[in-house]
Amino acid sequence: MNTLMRWIGIAVVIFIAAPLVIVVPMSFSTAASLQFPPPGYSWGYYQQFFSDPSWLRPAWNSIYIATMNTLLTMALVVPATFALVRHKFWGKSFANLMMMMPMAVPHIVMAVGYYSYFGELKLVHSKLGVILAHSCLSVPITFLVLSANLKGFDLTLERAARSLGATPGQVFRHITLPILKPGLAISALFAFIQSFDETVVAIFISGRDAETLPRKMFDSIREEADPVIAVISTLLFAVVFAGLIAPSLIKGLRRMAGGTPSK
Amino acid sequence: MGLSLSALAERKTLWPWLLLAPLTIYLALFFLVPLVEVAIMSVTEPRPGLANYEKVLTGSLYRKVFLNTFGTALLVTLCCLLVGYPLAYLMSTVSKRAAMGILLLITMSFWTSFLVRTYAWMVLLGNNGPVVWLMQTLGIAEPPPLLFTRFSSTLAMVHILAPYMIMNIYTVMQKIDPSLIRSAESMGAYGKSLFRHVYLPLTAPGIANGSVLVFVICLGFYVTPVLLGSPREQMAAGLIGNQIEQFLAFGLGSAMSIVLLVVTLVILGIYHRRFGLDKLYG
Repeated sequence: MNTLMRWIGIAVVIFIAAPLVIVVPMSFSTAASLQFPPPGYSWGYYQQFFSDPSWLRPAWNSIYIATMNTLLTMALVVPATFALVRHKFWGKSFANLMMMMPMAVPHIVMAVGYYSYFGELKLVHSKLGVILAHSCLSVPITFLVLSANLKGFDLTLERAARSLGATPGQVFRHITLPILKPGLAISALFAFIQSFDETVVAIFISGRDAETLPRKMFDSIREEADPVIAVISTLLFAVVFAGLIAPSLIKGLRRMAGGTPSK
Repeated sequence: MGLSLSALAERKTLWPWLLLAPLTIYLALFFLVPLVEVAIMSVTEPRPGLANYEKVLTGSLYRKVFLNTFGTALLVTLCCLLVGYPLAYLMSTVSKRAAMGILLLITMSFWTSFLVRTYAWMVLLGNNGPVVWLMQTLGIAEPPPLLFTRFSSTLAMVHILAPYMIMNIYTVMQKIDPSLIRSAESMGAYGKSLFRHVYLPLTAPGIANGSVLVFVICLGFYVTPVLLGSPREQMAAGLIGNQIEQFLAFGLGSAMSIVLLVVTLVILGIYHRRFGLDKLYG
């Protein structure tokens, strides 16, 4: 039983790794279509990606939309999370549920709603429309991450500062904010990724002007399976890899440099 | 004194609402209103009445699509479980270093966009891809078509959703006290019976969490079935997209959306009553 499970486990590791591994060599291929193993290797598709406005524009749109989405989501979610974690009030469990609702609705359903609603508001095919929609969809994950951080916050630190004569504003600036910084950063990152990856709503409402990278990739895969997608996939993949590896590298560097960084 | 105390109490009750107000108004305007609009369209487009629901709930095409959606979601959940459980088990038995390596792989897979993973399966299963090449090398002269079938879309969905299952089960397995297993063994439980009566019940919460999550996400899955599936075996989300984009049949698309939404909410509602929705994502 145990050995069987272990062998299946190893097979599953290969199953999970294979699609992630295959994309990288494909991006350096010289073939005009999907062919594996590639007949030859070159930087051709990288050059194509970095010189083609029809790929660069959606990439910039996505970065812009995800950035604005992050700012808007954080501005709304941070105060709300403080209210929900630190206060007891009537209707709290309802408010909690409200924060989670956007996660429970299938994106295709929201896409239908936004398509018609933003059509009336003349927001279809605009970046603002996509930002407004993505901000709703980013609320649950941002809230979950931030509230987990806030729940672990040691309140005695704030009380100590208060008893030493700090005003509420000073406590917030010098105690709460610095301690919460990593949690804020991570929840902002989740908001950014949520928007950057979101495909379904963007397909229906972003149009040509606000076309996001996932939408462009979706159209391209549906129509012709352009090998340039392998380039984008590899680049996105490299970002994820760097994001996962970098923190431990930085930790290692700090340890090697000796001592903790001063704040 | 009494006055300031009551003022303080009042401030205490108002404060959380002030903090919550912007988000509440925002969600009402840009989340609730579009959702309500879908509900309204489902009974007003193209003319008032329940005709759309009648069609969606009794028409043979729609019934086929909904049954297919359920069947696929069930199949994908089952496959994720069959794939995820052994891997989670492997992770909890190997050295810490190896477990970290596997965890890194799963995290990378999780953070890699749906589209990238869907595209990768297109490469893997394509006519000039490695799987076909391997089959030909093994002597299968004419491999069956793999791409744009139920097989390819199911396989890709299992790959995309497996991390949810694995993480949920692994979290539970990690917390199992090894002394529980040892004491069960000392009392004569081994092999199958140890697994069935001790290990499986202990990991059941992780299985429940992962299964609900995978099933619900799969029900509303749009991207992968549309790109990799067979056009003749559509899933609900794909058909909704068609109704809106191609046929401009907003009423029908909305009615299907509401049915999909209700089913999803019922499943999550049952889950929420038993475990709490915030537990779902670990």
